[in-house]
Amino acid sequence: MEIDKSDGPSVTIRESERDHVNFILRDVDLSTANSIRRTMLAEVPTLAIDLVEIDVNTSVLADEFLSHRLGLIPLVSEGIENLTYSRDCTCDNYCPKCSVRLELTAKCDTDSTMNVYATDLAKFHNGSRLGDPVIRDANRRGPLICKLRKHQELRLTCIAKKGIAKEHAKWSPCAAVGFEYDPWNKLNHTSYWYENDAAEEWPRSENCEWEEVPDPYAPFDYKAKPSNYYIDVETVGNLPPNEVVLRAVETLQRKLADIAIELNKETVEASNANAGGLTTYGRNQFDDGGDSPGMGRTPYGGDGGFGGNSSWN
Amino acid sequence: MNAPDRFELFILPDGVDKIKITPDTKVPNAAIIRIEREDHTLANMLRAQLLKDKRVIFAAYKIEHPLFANFVLRIQTEDDYSPREALKNACSGLISELDVIKNRFKEEWALKSLLNTNDDEY
Repeated sequence: MEIDKSDGPSVTIRESERDHVNFILRDVDLSTANSIRRTMLAEVPTLAIDLVEIDVNTSVLADEFLSHRLGLIPLVSEGIENLTYSRDCTCDNYCPKCSVRLELTAKCDTDSTMNVYATDLAKFHNGSRLGDPVIRDANRRGPLICKLRKHQELRLTCIAKKGIAKEHAKWSPCAAVGFEYDPWNKLNHTSYWYENDAAEEWPRSENCEWEEVPDPYAPFDYKAKPSNYYIDVETVGNLPPNEVVLRAVETLQRKLADIAIELNKETVEASNANAGGLTTYGRNQFDDGGDSPGMGRTPYGGDGGFGGNSSWN
Repeated sequence: MNAPDRFELFILPDGVDKIKITPDTKVPNAAIIRIEREDHTLANMLRAQLLKDKRVIFAAYKIEHPLFANFVLRIQTEDDYSPREALKNACSGLISELDVIKNRFKEEWALKSLLNTNDDEY
């Protein structure tokens, strides 16, 4: 099926640091590379503060302002796979299986201003580093949450939950993802705006060195496809960069597997859809009675049982 | 105030099918497949993979409305092949391709971390 090398895609890591990895992905389709980029940004699960119970807040910041700031604090998310999503958990609201509790108590008694940092968050012990605030500054204090004047006080409990950045950007493991292909613009996927001469006015990408200089007189190769992708992942520190890449790929695989599984299941359903009209605006879900277990439709559900998707799967 | 919950973008509600396949009545061997709670990430990847399949005549996707988290994929295949099979093959093809990427990345990372073991962490 593949046109190019049968060897499949390849990866070359150019730089790797604690919170950053730069690699070249080769011989994959643009769509695949882009999907990896998209999942890294938005669909890798991490941990972030999602609920804040405020007992006392006499600081100058409003409760919701403070809660927002707390939500954005990166928390160590290694081992997040052992935590369930709160919405899938069997507990009523939240429990240690689906959340991490952090407490913050701070009171200023001195005349000078007091700074409250992320390190002042006291985590309820859970036997791992999961949920500790990420610290990257030289003073090892973490991000500044708030400042207190004399007699101002802060007493609150935070519930950190697992989530993905599609719901809120605070769950994103990435600060930024650099994504470049075709640095010489041989494919004409972009057109540069210019005053007189585009080649002179635009700075050249560093990645140009990694590809051959194009012949300006060569005819345009309309069959050419991009094959080298220069990807640069910068994390916020809650997950190491290699984990971000690997988990993104795994998330994608899981999505695809879900589709494959659904396709295997739905052998009967397809013929149903054949009979039931063209409008698929989610309305004809009702006619197989799958959505109403407690509505007394079951006695008549005999016919629905045949084509019934939800009851037998 | 009346904004829908953000998790509705990816949590499949009860009673909604992940996939709905409607055969296209105008053309033989074609199907319109609606996949719920997915976006360009999956749609574009599947579309590209389907087009690599020589027995697929047509494959395209659209997101009909930006506020509804679903996409429609239309696939037309050759005679002895069905859109469902094509989609299944596309899925398995992509899963194994991603597997290769994953393993190659792991190898590279292991190599890199071997090389600079002692000179990181400030």
